[in-house]
Amino acid sequence: MNIRGFVDTSFVDWDKKVSCVVFTAGCNLRCTFCYNFGLVLHPEEFDEIPEDFIFNFLEENSDFLDGVVVTGGEPTLQPDLEDFIKSVRKFGLGIKLDSNGTNPEVLMQLIAEGLIDYIAMDVKAPLDSEQYSKLAGVNLNSSIGDIKKSVQLIKSSGVDHEFRTTVVPGVHTKADIEAIAKSLAGADRYYLQKFQPNTRFDKLNENKPQSDAEMEELAEAARKHIPSTEWRGR
Amino acid sequence: MTIKSLENEKQMDSTDIALFVRVSKGDVVKWSRQSIVDALLRETSISPEMADKVSREAENAIIASNIKFITAPLIREVVNDKLVHHGLEEERKQHTRLGLPIFDVDQIIRNHNKENANVPHGPEATNLSLAEAIKKQHALLRVFSPDVSLAHESGDFHLHDLGMIDRPYCSGNSLEYIKKFGLNLPNALSIAKPAKHPEVLIGQMIKFSAALQGTFAGAIGWDAVNLFLAPYLKGIDDRRMEQLAQILVFEYAQQAVARGGQSIFSDLNLYWEVPKHFADVPAIGPGGKFTGNVYEDYIGESQRFVQALLKVYRQGDAYGRPFFFPKPQIHISEKLFKTEGYEDFLTQVAEVSSEMGNPYYVFDRGDTAKISECCRLAFKLEESDFNDAKTPWKMRYSAMQNITFNLPRIAYEANGNDDILFELLRRKMEQAVKGHVAKKRFITGLLNMGNTGPLGLLTMDTDGEAYYRLHKASFLFGMVGLNEMVQYHLGSELHESRDAFKFGLKVIAFMNKMCEELGKRLDMKFVLEQTPAESTAYRMAMLDLEHYPDQARQTVKGDLASNEVYYTNSTYLNVGSQVSPIERVKKEGMFHPLIEAGSLTHIWLGESRPSPESIANFVVKTFKHTTNDQIAFSPEFTSCLDCGKNS
Repeated sequence: MNIRGFVDTSFVDWDKKVSCVVFTAGCNLRCTFCYNFGLVLHPEEFDEIPEDFIFNFLEENSDFLDGVVVTGGEPTLQPDLEDFIKSVRKFGLGIKLDSNGTNPEVLMQLIAEGLIDYIAMDVKAPLDSEQYSKLAGVNLNSSIGDIKKSVQLIKSSGVDHEFRTTVVPGVHTKADIEAIAKSLAGADRYYLQKFQPNTRFDKLNENKPQSDAEMEELAEAARKHIPSTEWRGR
Repeated sequence: MTIKSLENEKQMDSTDIALFVRVSKGDVVKWSRQSIVDALLRETSISPEMADKVSREAENAIIASNIKFITAPLIREVVNDKLVHHGLEEERKQHTRLGLPIFDVDQIIRNHNKENANVPHGPEATNLSLAEAIKKQHALLRVFSPDVSLAHESGDFHLHDLGMIDRPYCSGNSLEYIKKFGLNLPNALSIAKPAKHPEVLIGQMIKFSAALQGTFAGAIGWDAVNLFLAPYLKGIDDRRMEQLAQILVFEYAQQAVARGGQSIFSDLNLYWEVPKHFADVPAIGPGGKFTGNVYEDYIGESQRFVQALLKVYRQGDAYGRPFFFPKPQIHISEKLFKTEGYEDFLTQVAEVSSEMGNPYYVFDRGDTAKISECCRLAFKLEESDFNDAKTPWKMRYSAMQNITFNLPRIAYEANGNDDILFELLRRKMEQAVKGHVAKKRFITGLLNMGNTGPLGLLTMDTDGEAYYRLHKASFLFGMVGLNEMVQYHLGSELHESRDAFKFGLKVIAFMNKMCEELGKRLDMKFVLEQTPAESTAYRMAMLDLEHYPDQARQTVKGDLASNEVYYTNSTYLNVGSQVSPIERVKKEGMFHPLIEAGSLTHIWLGESRPSPESIANFVVKTFKHTTNDQIAFSPEFTSCLDCGKNS
């Protein structure tokens, strides 16, 4: 697998767990607010991390680790993702997968084989809107259907999951958030994430991130459809 | 010539000289050569004949200068000059005057003390600095032998808290003592009976801490605070419980009005469970009376109070900033995991770690129990201490002094030879132990002066023995720069190779064994400690760059260009190295069983605010899967002193 980043110990990336985080190279979206845009646009600028290096670390420290978070980029683009996950599971560790949901077949396969313990899927905008393509930075005409498919798949999978939306200042309205939440109704968890101004792709967005109070207001709007909605990035 | 005849002669000479002397007691008196002779005979081992000769020479020098007014300190220096001329080195030392150049005093009064971030700037603080400067000189000249003083000054090892030479280092205390005996401080005009109400007890505890701070150099620790307070908390509602917790934390945190304007270096040892050794102990309650119950019966109140305390720590001060003191030391023992509600409790503690960083997690594995004093120091309770636990007011412990070795220098001197390295280490420990013996002798002398002596607080006897239990005192050996020692000796740092790491363990095991040997030989208790020695790590690195430049330039950390250099503290792995927190707690933890007086691993959280559950999860795994003694998490944030905001 093309791995270009590794965090050996994280208390942040998988709630309640001690995990390590593997970053895969490349993505099929170009979200303007991406916080890992280097990994998306120029993965070759990061040293490739051999799988064996990671497996050695897991072998020595599986007593402390609960699982491995596979994130990116977009992990489902990696042809050998399944093999990698199977190798990790041999150490008795769980897998959390982060995905943008554009590859429902890959997700379905992994879920069917019981290889995933937690899925976190990004939902960028209301699912039927033109805004989705705009925020994702690519024309999604053909694949918006795939994203919807992934949402349904994940909700009905029985696998622990969350959906999340990064709230982009000046773009997302309260109505947008409510619309997204509506389409996700029935999900285990929904998180709104505060925009991180220093990590964006372009310099176009000069708006300040939402205040804590504004984030809370948006979360409250989403709770009409998903009562457990919370927000992150305090 | 007899003293008598000398005196007669002198009276005649001095009446003729129209010279006035400003004397130290605050007067202007006529010149008297006899005063010089008197001082020499009183203070030094000089012979009467030599005293007379020296005084005449000094007088001649002063008369020849035609000066009209002279100060007593200047006369003393002139006399010292004559003593040096006669090769009377020992007498000169005995006759020397301690003090500071006026320039330095001016600097101390006007400028902030940069060496210790805990020392504020104000008249109280400068009093402390000035007093410490003189007591330090006194210690090096009078308390320690010249070779020990020289080893300190040249940086072979570091004698800590020389400015507080007349106090023991740190102390562990029991609330039971105040509960049972009230507050009866030697110099106070009023005596308080045992408290009847929790507010009063907390007040007495803090007052007593302030008094103890006046007789100890370092931290003032309190054992099982929430448990011992519990008998006073029956039937108290949540609101008052929280207010009591606020009183305790704020009163400590804001005691920056005591010694030297410093906060009290205080530690609160806290438990969720009722520790095994206290479970069946009869509880003392209001009025100092036994309640008829045992401490196990008070688990409810004890737990509610520790929860209230954590709430206060989580909220922080009026600006939401963390409290630096009192430090919460959360004990984790096997019994914790059998005590209902422990998961939520750990999550609550971890939330404070994540947001504010205060809690220290102290691991009491198996049958050990510990009382933690300052950042790193812990006293392991021994067999006899568990007997003490039946009468918990007796549980008063102390470390007398701490001496820290400059390990990298030993590697430079050994020049790659294992045998020489261990031989040098042995010799330096043999030399340093004389420093401990000297301090013990000095403090014992002060204690022997009893209740009216300078350490009267420590000699007060309310329960059949002095408050300060000298026979229980530990003497600490610390270390700076194990990492750089190994780096120079073997060419790789502790985290870089297994051989380097193993050699590091061998060095610390050797030091631990030496402690045992020396202890048997001298009937004293020597233990290793991870010295909280940030400024010592800097001082030793600077001295080695001066005296061992070729070697030290290869090992010191920090920035050579700006002289901001240091050796890695104690047995830590290089703080800048890419070692995962998991590997750090495991590897550093392998040293901890050898460092009996306490050790710690710091885990840096960076700017992210991790999930409390993940932190609690990590803490439990550290307890179960490592030999690490103590960990703390440090979130990264900056407090602005001007606006009070955190970022």
